[in-house]
Amino acid sequence: MIKFGRTPGDLMDMLAEASLRAIKHANADKEEFDALYVANMMAGETSHQTAVASSLADRIALVPAAADRVENGPASGGSAVKNGFLAVASGAYDMVLVAGGEKMTTADGDVTTDLISTMTHPTAEYVHGVTLPAMGGMLARIYMERFGVTDKHLGMIAVKNHANAVKNPYAHIQRACTVEGTMQSGMIADPLRLYHVCPVSDGAAAVVLCSMDKAKKFTDKPVRIAGVGQATDVQSVQEREDPAVLKSVQIAAKRAFGMAGKTTKDIDVAELHDAFEVLELAEAEDIGFFEKGKAHLAYEKGETTLTGKLPINTSGGLKARGHAVGATGVAQVVELIWQLRGECGERQVKDAKTALSCNFGGFGNNTVIHIFERGW
Amino acid sequence: MEQKFVAYKCKSCGKVMKPKHDRCLKCKATEFEEFELPKEGKLVTYTKLYALPAGIEMPPLTLGIAEFGSAKALGQILTDNPKIGMKVKPVWGKLRVLNGKDIFGFRFEAVE
Repeated sequence: MIKFGRTPGDLMDMLAEASLRAIKHANADKEEFDALYVANMMAGETSHQTAVASSLADRIALVPAAADRVENGPASGGSAVKNGFLAVASGAYDMVLVAGGEKMTTADGDVTTDLISTMTHPTAEYVHGVTLPAMGGMLARIYMERFGVTDKHLGMIAVKNHANAVKNPYAHIQRACTVEGTMQSGMIADPLRLYHVCPVSDGAAAVVLCSMDKAKKFTDKPVRIAGVGQATDVQSVQEREDPAVLKSVQIAAKRAFGMAGKTTKDIDVAELHDAFEVLELAEAEDIGFFEKGKAHLAYEKGETTLTGKLPINTSGGLKARGHAVGATGVAQVVELIWQLRGECGERQVKDAKTALSCNFGGFGNNTVIHIFERGW
Repeated sequence: MEQKFVAYKCKSCGKVMKPKHDRCLKCKATEFEEFELPKEGKLVTYTKLYALPAGIEMPPLTLGIAEFGSAKALGQILTDNPKIGMKVKPVWGKLRVLNGKDIFGFRFEAVE
């Protein structure tokens, strides 16, 4: 993984650096890889480059490995990890590298906002000027009206995530904030303020996947992918029976827990997709960590801080680690692998044995959830 | 020509959809009846957007989802003081510019 933020290199530089770091960290320098999956959403539009997976195989000497770019909006990273997992689990490949990267700071802000908005429904949503923050704002409005969530609660989430990012050298924004400060920040998509919304980040992250037998040759602390769940939902939010319910999250979680043979009680640490702070609440509820409409009460009690019952977004989350769209799902997985291996330094969750990542695509119409556990 | 504000009903199972899909979300049938929605709806949620995408000028842009009988629709809200539950009606107008072309569609205006 590389530090998220405004990076000097281009997309390929970031992908190559993150990939080589992952390969080195896995002690797999001399290994031949069978396949490479590259998660990326917008290289053609922001970097004027296509077929980036083939290019990365060339840059880091993985030729003649199979190579594919995986695009699933902001859940591209989760999808690429899932594809790598399925390829190894099926027996088709032994060694797989999954990398995710996005160069987002090259275009003007309004152009990037428009590009990301193109994942909404073309005729029912996009043409009206909808952006992803607008979707977040409309969800937050319902949460406030129906469940009594306030901007103070949204601020608490930001404060927690910024505090975690201060302890994460890979985070984009390594700066603490206060609830009062978040409440005075500029309005982006009313009621969402600047400190309730993720920044625009460049970034890249990578992981090495192989069978457990093989992994034990590289390390005595291999992490096992115990469960994967992915689900889609209708594309336009207007067509959902209840726009406050993230059905794809519910179904993806059910599938992942089912495969892993685990429940929410088994999870020690989670990375959720807080592109907007209200999403951290909604995902935590629809995964099943909290009752619907009640997650904010757990935040009042500090249950999701580093020392709480269930630490959420120890990396700083999308809010402070940053959201380099194609890289995000892979970065979540990297953080959890480090947590399970005990490599997170000051932000280490004590004795973390089982972890969950939730990578949320579109505005909830394609979610990928992974469950990890110690493999030793 | 007057524009119609419509939704689609599956001819096989009666499920109402907006926007149109190529197969019914409930029974997978492919025949639909286009029908006009009621002219008055209720605002379900809204936001005032200050960070606009390229192609739209003049913040804030107020957007919302409103329920018109059996279907909901998203659109621009033409009132400065939106409230959840307020009554709105669809009016035809210019939405934005895309690739140099004006794009038209329904926007929602408060019902007095």
